[in-house]
Amino acid sequence: MDEATTIEGPVREAREQGEPHGTPQGTPFPSHLSVPLLALGVAACGGGGSGSGGGATGGVAAPGVQVRKPQSDAEAARFLLQTGIAASTEEIADLKSEGFAPWLDRQMAAAPSSAVAWLAARGFTQIDTNRWFDRTEPGDYMVWNQLMGGAPEVRARAALALSEFFVVSLDGVDFRWKSQGMARYWDILSENAFGNYRTLLEAVTLNPAMGQWLNTLGNRRADGKGRVPDENYAREVMQLFTIGLYELNADGTVRTGAGGQGIETYGNTDVQELAKVFTGYDFDWTGTTTTPDPNNASWTIESVDFALKPMTADSTRWRYPRATGYHSAEAKAFLGTTIPAGTGPAESLKQALDTLFNHPNTGPFFARQMIQRLVTSNPAPGYVQRVAAVFANNGRGVRGDLGAVFRAIWLDDEALAAANVTSNSFGKLREPILRLAQWARSFGATSKSGNWTVADTRDPASRLSQSPLRAPSVFNFFRPGYVPAASSTSASGMVAPELQLVNESTAPAYVNFIQRVIAGQEWVTNDLAVPYAQELAMAHDAGRLLDRLDLLMTGGQLSTESRTAIRGGLDASVVSEASDSATKLRRVQTAVLLVMAAPQYLLQR
Amino acid sequence: MHIGQANELSRRAFLRRSSQVAMMGGATSYALGLAGLGEAAAFSAGTDYKALVCVFLYGGNDHNSMLIPFDAANYARYAAIRGGTGDAGGGLTPARADLAATALALPAGQVLTDNIQYALSPAMPRLKALYDARALAPVLNVGPLLAPMTRAQYDSQSVPRPPKLFSHNDQQSTWQAYSPEGATVGAGGRIGDLAMSSNPNALFTCMSATGNAVFLSGQRALSYQISPSGAIAVNGVKSGVYGSRAAGDALRALLTQTGTHMLAIDHAAIAKRSIEAEAFVTAALQPVSLATSFRPPTGTNSLANQLQVVARVIAARAAMGTRRQVFMVSMGGYDTHDAQVVNHTRLMGQLDFALDAFYRATVEMGVADKVTTFTASDFGRTLASNGDGTDHGWGANHLVMGGAVGGGRFYGIAPAVALNTPDQVGSGRLLPTISVDQHMATMGRWFGVAPSELAGIAPNIGRFASADLGFLPPVA
Repeated sequence: MDEATTIEGPVREAREQGEPHGTPQGTPFPSHLSVPLLALGVAACGGGGSGSGGGATGGVAAPGVQVRKPQSDAEAARFLLQTGIAASTEEIADLKSEGFAPWLDRQMAAAPSSAVAWLAARGFTQIDTNRWFDRTEPGDYMVWNQLMGGAPEVRARAALALSEFFVVSLDGVDFRWKSQGMARYWDILSENAFGNYRTLLEAVTLNPAMGQWLNTLGNRRADGKGRVPDENYAREVMQLFTIGLYELNADGTVRTGAGGQGIETYGNTDVQELAKVFTGYDFDWTGTTTTPDPNNASWTIESVDFALKPMTADSTRWRYPRATGYHSAEAKAFLGTTIPAGTGPAESLKQALDTLFNHPNTGPFFARQMIQRLVTSNPAPGYVQRVAAVFANNGRGVRGDLGAVFRAIWLDDEALAAANVTSNSFGKLREPILRLAQWARSFGATSKSGNWTVADTRDPASRLSQSPLRAPSVFNFFRPGYVPAASSTSASGMVAPELQLVNESTAPAYVNFIQRVIAGQEWVTNDLAVPYAQELAMAHDAGRLLDRLDLLMTGGQLSTESRTAIRGGLDASVVSEASDSATKLRRVQTAVLLVMAAPQYLLQR
Repeated sequence: MHIGQANELSRRAFLRRSSQVAMMGGATSYALGLAGLGEAAAFSAGTDYKALVCVFLYGGNDHNSMLIPFDAANYARYAAIRGGTGDAGGGLTPARADLAATALALPAGQVLTDNIQYALSPAMPRLKALYDARALAPVLNVGPLLAPMTRAQYDSQSVPRPPKLFSHNDQQSTWQAYSPEGATVGAGGRIGDLAMSSNPNALFTCMSATGNAVFLSGQRALSYQISPSGAIAVNGVKSGVYGSRAAGDALRALLTQTGTHMLAIDHAAIAKRSIEAEAFVTAALQPVSLATSFRPPTGTNSLANQLQVVARVIAARAAMGTRRQVFMVSMGGYDTHDAQVVNHTRLMGQLDFALDAFYRATVEMGVADKVTTFTASDFGRTLASNGDGTDHGWGANHLVMGGAVGGGRFYGIAPAVALNTPDQVGSGRLLPTISVDQHMATMGRWFGVAPSELAGIAPNIGRFASADLGFLPPVA
């Protein structure tokens, strides 16, 4: 990396103004990664005049510095849809008044709303004949509640993105209280979304849902008789959660070695060695009690406690306590690090996760995929590099500050640039989960039962082919490198992850599903009451109705061609101010469906 | 070692074909049909019907639990490695007595490594019967290779390895498309490129019943998706939106709008294809009535549902306008790091039921010898146990099924039942002795691919001694 070409004027100024450059406790800070610190601030502020200092200062605007603000409702709505799930006229007004960074900081500061607590409050942690302790439906309800209900939207959006990076699926968890276990997993993502990556990585690693999904739960050291440690978590924590398969440059592009080939980051020996670190873990059973089974008093049901606690390698805390555990005492040599023989589980875990966290790949690897989930499938290398630099150093010497990372993603000039609204390659396909959640939030959906009993939406032939926390594998619903064959995308040398879900079956299935959802005809969403109150009031004025939907759903990006088509569909049926409410509702629902089928809606840019 | 040569041959062959396609405008369109493109010389379609069906087992099938050593000596070795005690089994090992009913007799004269005899999983009685009926054959130790490789060459890295070994997504892609994730042209699609000129309706050359996968994507051939219930209509386009025909027309206009953004273009192309083909496909499938049941005795069987629609499409081949088709179906859940005995046995039972039902359907339709079905998977798994499961491997034993298959015998070299022999890279991770290229080439030759075009469908084939493993008769 060439400092001279990376650091621009305002960054030099910021550095010269004496930003602290401390090193956090226990987190060695590789000096070669520190170069582009504050590059975010430049990027975020470079496009619209002056700025607040970007992520580097945690969002505290310098006195007298003008804050960058959206110049139009459409620009504000676009930002709301990138950072959150839906847009409202109230949020648009607030954002325009406050400016991007202050508004975002306020949203990010909103405390998480606990999914575990919500399940308990809604009665799903009761032990009764509903047998919720063995069912996955409450897991669907709690996550849809997070996405559609009142949970802070920016944090929920970040947690959703994280759930598609640190993937666990409800379908892969089959211990008792699986829904609560997944709620705890969601809470870990939500609580740490703007915390530190290293903390998040450890919490994810020790969560029992992840433990079962990728087999750390019950994993044991080699027994000398042929049994060897399970390699699953060791492999995937490297391939998917931290460093990836190929050495990366700071901008996320693949480093090439001799012959132009990529350089693999690890080999199978590294996997086998790292696997020893994740041995000896099981449920922490302390505090877990039992109750007679409501259907058969001679059986018992365990209380939820064990499903909510991190796994433990302390075998005295297990369900069947033992004096000694199953952690491997062998030396563990991987990625150039050697954990000496005899090192215990906690210290081994610390050294292993520190090694992965501090690897130069982790920042750009994570940054690129979060940008893909939130802003654009094909970020410019410079965008990745700016975000990765913030991962390396938030400006105060802290590596892995996720609040700063997400801020850097959302406030980067590539995300905000008005010119990208008309780009033919910027942006991404709006993933189906977001479409449904956006619909619910946009039109004021409430839960009739209070339980947000929205079901699994995966079925590819009749629903969305995607449902939150139900990816088919740890490789998520789609791959960050997916290239549709013989496509405009492949001809451009680009990728289109979300397009992996689109084919001749799923494209019509989505339209059919959302058509039923919008009109309250779909069983999956029949617990939702959607008033369309504001839209009904303007239903007789098709132009005004369409303007509103365009603004809120697409950020005002509908093309003239799309607007003409939609008006054609609406104006064929006469609706006046005197029309009955059923007629007005039909028009509103028709308009919502047509907008949600428009290419400028399916695409988010 | 000239590793680049086969790729170059393949590239030249593609360029030659591309120049022919260019004269037609290059568009792959259902409406165009694309019949009669200049592939005839390189592909022998005849006037009959043939189909290849790839059954992808996502997650990495533990082939060691699908084909289990049954003779006393090898069973004992297997049990010792996989937690068994004597003939009683235990750990990952079934009791030896439970294997007797699915033991596969070797034909006279066939002797495998260490005199091994195999049994299918006890959950596979139907496939055992198909083996006995010579409609099923195991192919031993197949996996991705760039060139033949010994253990010594693996250790010294003197022969290039396929990249990203042991990684799920990359080895799925490598099995399907000869290179890791990001590949855009798969083996089935390459065969489809050659075969599509045989089909009056080229769009239906490559059909998936299992979602998007690179296997079926060609340079020109597209993967057309069909759901287990057939083609799916956009109801609003077909019947109007909430009772409004005009809104239905608007919906159609929006979904098929030709925009300028690459993602919008690609989405619209799929939606347009879906809408345009649906009525045709639905009409073609409507009269099909198969007596063969795909309904499992208990529970659900997604693979059977997928194979049922494949059978229906084959039954409708005259109406569909197809003579050569490549299909893909799949099932997941094979990444059995944990609870392998319960989960893998269940999967084997589902695979057994679904493959057998499909075979019987092809018999019912009179095309049993025109349809060849084969298993594929991310990789094999370790012979070593991690307690209650296994880890990612490389080569694996697979199954081919069909009336044209020389069934009732084994193909390839049986791997030793051991943890550190020269036919593996440790822990029982098999070093393949048959490459995916050879496997695909053998099926491609039966399907109609000319010898001169093999490098186009199997880019590494030139580095292997044989392009014919012998389990299917090549087209003359």
